Amino acid sequence: MSDTPILSIRDVHAKVADEDTEILHGVDLELGKGEIHAIMGPNGSGKSTLAKILAGHPGYEVTAGSITYKGEDILEAEPDERSKAGIFLAFQYPVEIPGVSIANFLRTALQSREEEGGELDLFDFQDELLARMELLGMDASFAERPVNDGFSGGEKKRNEILQMAMLRPELALMDETDSGLDIDALQVVADGVNKLHQENPDMTVLIITHYQRLLNYLKPHFVHVMVKGKLVRSGGPEVAEELEARGYEEFKTVEA
Amino acid sequence: MAQSTTLDEPIGGLMEGVTDSLNSDLVQSRATGEPEWLRNRRLDAWASYERTPMPTTRLEEWRYTDLSRKLSLDALTPMEWSERAFDRESAPARMAEAMEADHESSGHVVEIDGTVAHVDLDADLAAKGVVLTSLRSAVEDHPELLEEYLATRALPADRGKFQALNAALWTDGIFLHVPRGVRLEHPVRVTRWLSEEGKALFSRTLIVAAEASQVSYVDEILSDDMEVQSLVSSAVEVFAGNGAQVQYVSLQRLGHGPFHLSQQRTIAGKDATLDTLNVNMGATTARLDLNAQLLGSGANSDMLGLCFGEGDQHFDHNTSQDHVAPHAYSDLLYKGALDGRARSVFRGIIKVHKGAQQTDAYQTNRNLLLSEEARADSLPNLEIEADDVRCSHGATVGQLDQDHLFYLMSRGLSRTEAERLVVIGFLGEVLSKLPLGGVVEKISRAVEAKLNV
Repeated sequence: MSDTPILSIRDVHAKVADEDTEILHGVDLELGKGEIHAIMGPNGSGKSTLAKILAGHPGYEVTAGSITYKGEDILEAEPDERSKAGIFLAFQYPVEIPGVSIANFLRTALQSREEEGGELDLFDFQDELLARMELLGMDASFAERPVNDGFSGGEKKRNEILQMAMLRPELALMDETDSGLDIDALQVVADGVNKLHQENPDMTVLIITHYQRLLNYLKPHFVHVMVKGKLVRSGGPEVAEELEARGYEEFKTVEA
Repeated sequence: MAQSTTLDEPIGGLMEGVTDSLNSDLVQSRATGEPEWLRNRRLDAWASYERTPMPTTRLEEWRYTDLSRKLSLDALTPMEWSERAFDRESAPARMAEAMEADHESSGHVVEIDGTVAHVDLDADLAAKGVVLTSLRSAVEDHPELLEEYLATRALPADRGKFQALNAALWTDGIFLHVPRGVRLEHPVRVTRWLSEEGKALFSRTLIVAAEASQVSYVDEILSDDMEVQSLVSSAVEVFAGNGAQVQYVSLQRLGHGPFHLSQQRTIAGKDATLDTLNVNMGATTARLDLNAQLLGSGANSDMLGLCFGEGDQHFDHNTSQDHVAPHAYSDLLYKGALDGRARSVFRGIIKVHKGAQQTDAYQTNRNLLLSEEARADSLPNLEIEADDVRCSHGATVGQLDQDHLFYLMSRGLSRTEAERLVVIGFLGEVLSKLPLGGVVEKISRAVEAKLNV
């Protein structure tokens, strides 16, 4: 794979901003360009916290260690700066924004990526939006609905994938994208991510999940196991299969 | 009303709010040269003002707005009427910009510092008998209509302290009369400008839409930011005759500094539609008293409102859905977004009188707090004397929390863009219910400008 990693996490310790309890106790991880990684772990292991701190959630604080993205320290960068630099987080619980259509939201997001004083071409935007929705098998009317307002779980996750398709990230973080989805919705979402990765094989993907089932559709190159705030096992796709067969108990006891 | 006692001896509360500048001499001078009916009306109004105590926070209706702290009547001098010419080229930037955004219209009025400086009206409409003019001219030209409607049935002076003050001291205002069956395709647009600090300005609006007529009216008031308080008192009376369709929109975009007091009463006749939209963006303190009376059976009122406050702004909305007649419908939706230390109060009552069976009346107030220090108080209320009605009320106060902002910022939006999008989306629900050309754009821009402060 590539020479310099796109994302390099070194000995990261983190906690909730206004609490003392540490959640991550020294995480090391490197992601190479174009690689698909999965972090699996039981509830409360800290895997979602890792996704959030990579995207810059203000509710968490990194107390030690470093995170470099494309060779640059990003710990001080605001979430919008990270987004513009190519990091995308697909949320486990996407937020509802009543009164704002998906199209309007995406237009604002893309406008914010323009150079100072630059204007997004609205016709190009409309064409691009329709093309991306077609690629993902979505009906054009979807973009006129208010962002996540009254959406089913599946619709919310599809909206995340549409945003990912429009923003064309270099590093996509999928935070429990499979949670709350039935098998059909799961397939649709995985299919979308696969298409985007085929289209841009340089895109790096980090999948955070509790269950192995998503990985039946989204094939990772590497699988890591997180337990109690640490990565306790890393390997190839076979790690996921091991987990499927034996569960997390083994890792928990190893750790203890 | 209470039995009037002799006025020779002051009793408790008497003469409150009478100052070196706002006094009976001023009323006399305003009334000089006016027809007798109007002169008497001013003097009666002033007497009513003198004997009505200044509202305090002990009154439920003024519980959250302490006039002794928010309004310095003693420091104000009255704004006088004076001959003015309006020249669009030399209009202040904010005013010019606001007028620029007024696209299609049936006519315009420009009022500067309480004096109407310009009126124009589509010639075809004038030929059909539509009257759009200054209140002062209307006193000369349409005395019979004014005598019937001005400060009588809608906002009589004995309705309250400030109704009385305005009725006694108004300098000018706008009169619109739409004759029976005449329909105005485009809105009448009014731009009112305040330029002076330390003044007390009293202006009135009287809209009389006769049977089966139709009109939309957009009343926008603006100023620059001011260091010293001015009081802007606006009294608005709107009559919709049987089957008439009327929309009244108030856009309050004063700069920082003024105290805006808007007192409105709408009276809807049989099968009339009388909708209102009140937008409060500016001023340091803005108080709205709106009473919508459903007087004729089958009358219909949508009552919409929105405010967006920041800094130390204080908005107090006091509404009443007054169902007198049966089979009438009213639906109120007021929304407020508040940033900084801004505060809003919503106090609304649905009052259904005994004979008003088959009333449908709804009331919703929603607030969005953008900062820790912002505050919204919501007091919806019902008073129902009929037994066959459908009424509901509800209120919410929500917060733009960290997770909202993080979600939007993780898509590349700056904090300001994220807030703007959420606020526009939140307030947009109100605007979508009354889509008048230019209004949505103006409000969107005003929201943006405030978030960019």
